[in-house]
Amino acid sequence: MIEELNKNFEIFRKTYIPKLEDEKKRIEAFKDFEKSGFPNKKLEDWKFSDFSSIISNKIENIKVSLERNKNFKFENFIKDFDHIKIFFFNGFFVEKGEKFDEKKGFNYVTPYNGFKRNFSKEGGFLILPNSNNALESLNNAFFTDGLSIATKKNFEFKKPIVIYNIFEGSKKNNFFNNKIHFVISENSKLDIMIYNINIGEEPIFFNLKNTFYLKKNSIFKLYNLSDFKKNDVHYNFGRYFLEENSIFENFNNCYSGGFSKSDLVCSLNKEYSSCFINGVMLSQDQNHHEIKTLINHNEKNTKSYQKIKSVLNHSSKGVFQGKIKVSPEAQKTDGYQLSKALLLDKNSEFDSKPELEIYADDVKCSHGSTSGNLDEEAIFYLMSRGLDKYEAKKLLIKGFLTDAIETITNNEIKKYFLNKLENNINEHR
Amino acid sequence: MLEINNLSAKVDKKTILNGLSLKIKPGEVHAIMGPNGSGKSTLANVLSGKKGYEISGKVNYDDKDLFELAIEERAHRGLFLAFQYPLEIPGVNTSNFLKTSLNAIRKSNGKKQLDALEFLKIVKQKASELKIDEKILHRQLNVGFSGGEKKKNEILQMSLIEPKMAILDETDSGLDIDALKIVAKGVNALRNKKRSFLIITHYQRLLDYIKPDFVHVLMKGKIAKSGCMELAEELEKAGYEKI
Repeated sequence: MIEELNKNFEIFRKTYIPKLEDEKKRIEAFKDFEKSGFPNKKLEDWKFSDFSSIISNKIENIKVSLERNKNFKFENFIKDFDHIKIFFFNGFFVEKGEKFDEKKGFNYVTPYNGFKRNFSKEGGFLILPNSNNALESLNNAFFTDGLSIATKKNFEFKKPIVIYNIFEGSKKNNFFNNKIHFVISENSKLDIMIYNINIGEEPIFFNLKNTFYLKKNSIFKLYNLSDFKKNDVHYNFGRYFLEENSIFENFNNCYSGGFSKSDLVCSLNKEYSSCFINGVMLSQDQNHHEIKTLINHNEKNTKSYQKIKSVLNHSSKGVFQGKIKVSPEAQKTDGYQLSKALLLDKNSEFDSKPELEIYADDVKCSHGSTSGNLDEEAIFYLMSRGLDKYEAKKLLIKGFLTDAIETITNNEIKKYFLNKLENNINEHR
Repeated sequence: MLEINNLSAKVDKKTILNGLSLKIKPGEVHAIMGPNGSGKSTLANVLSGKKGYEISGKVNYDDKDLFELAIEERAHRGLFLAFQYPLEIPGVNTSNFLKTSLNAIRKSNGKKQLDALEFLKIVKQKASELKIDEKILHRQLNVGFSGGEKKKNEILQMSLIEPKMAILDETDSGLDIDALKIVAKGVNALRNKKRSFLIITHYQRLLDYIKPDFVHVLMKGKIAKSGCMELAEELEKAGYEKI
């Protein structure tokens, strides 16, 4: 597969017209990737998800195509709440969504257009970082398009932005590398949902890097949702940097097919910053989801909260690796982490690795992790009230996951996710 | 309505019910009293279909062999058990649960399912009749409820479902006098010529408000003595040892 990628990379470099200021970076990034290859379970970070074998089982040949479909049509967007729409189709920004202007509170740059229009470095992500993460190196090498947004100061968005990443996976085009780069400026407030959908027949590998800077007193909410199929592969590498008194809320829905890993690193760099990283997994049909978090408490009086609820059925697999790291400066840290999983059949698996690494002495940190079956007493209670076994289990699963969804503070989006959950549970026999 | 014949139940080879017989006719209210460990809760569990018991004997309910009915079928046919320890179910909204339960029972009886508005109207009315704070409807089922709130919630469910036969398993234990009155009110309001009750209790207190037609004493897994209200009063004074 690496050889194929090498060929793909050569073609990519010849055909991708906009050039980075420092094109050598791409080549270096690809060399870094070649050296290590796809991560496998020998690596601590990947010990529960052997990416190397996952990708070769799911995708026969990796192919990058830079063809841009001009006849993009997509009507299936969210009708449940009013939102600003941004579309990407097969990895490229599509100018069919919302037109941006200053009044809407932000400037934006997409690199593909940006390069062509000779945008300067304000895109931020045009500078490729060195990385010891093989998939990030791969993303640097094949980075095609994305979005860079800086919000206006003191601006409160009245409705959320939904970024639709729509793919039409085919044998010729199945590998996509994007970057999202946001600066949430001082005193501004923004809610975003990233919604990934594969409408094609063939599986894809979507490799997304996103970076968010939360400036002083900003509030930023980020919701993730995917509609992927059995053999789709998604790696979501998120880095979040929080300044003074900023609040970051993140919610991850893992309902969809295939393999997904959200690899989230949140750095609480200034006093009174806080992050809430929550999520649900509802895995079935041999799907495999992982949420991995690293919370860096780098300054005093910072707060982190994590709640992950997982339900696994039909030989599926769930993984939660969560680490709270408290630096010596970070006195009065308040860190909380909880992972709970329900295993509904013998062949499903849940791996949990909660970790605390604390170098300060005046902190409050707790973590808990449980996995088990549905409570038979509770099933009996519900059945004694007339529900049959299936309905009783459904209600318990819904209740179990709802507990995490209730942490969402955007009420419209919470309601939308609760409906999604209801539909997913109905399919979950 | 309910006819129990020579019922025995074992858990891990330990006999708990040992040849219990009892007949409850439509409209009758029976109370079962007994010391700890006499088999009171086991009787309630066995009748409602809880697993884990090795059972012999026969129970007829509403002209059917009770043991041939699944747990939910017993509920569909009008058997209701108010739990001694109602379960806390996180994430499940109380009102939503009540609606699901009521509609499951209505559906099985060929009745129209209630929509959210129709249901809300009924549940609010029942809650107000029983002086139960509507707020519990919006909370997660029994989560963080006080002992009294949990028991009141059971009585609210009973009032909504309007069962043919209700079994109350120590619903009065741990209740203050006001909550006790609510429980009694719930029972008395439903009392009619067709509906039967089996009230399992430790103390006479609840029976003062409900006034059962019959009182039985359960000892070592079977009925040791039967009588009327005077028996309960006697027990309250003299204890179980004299039986």
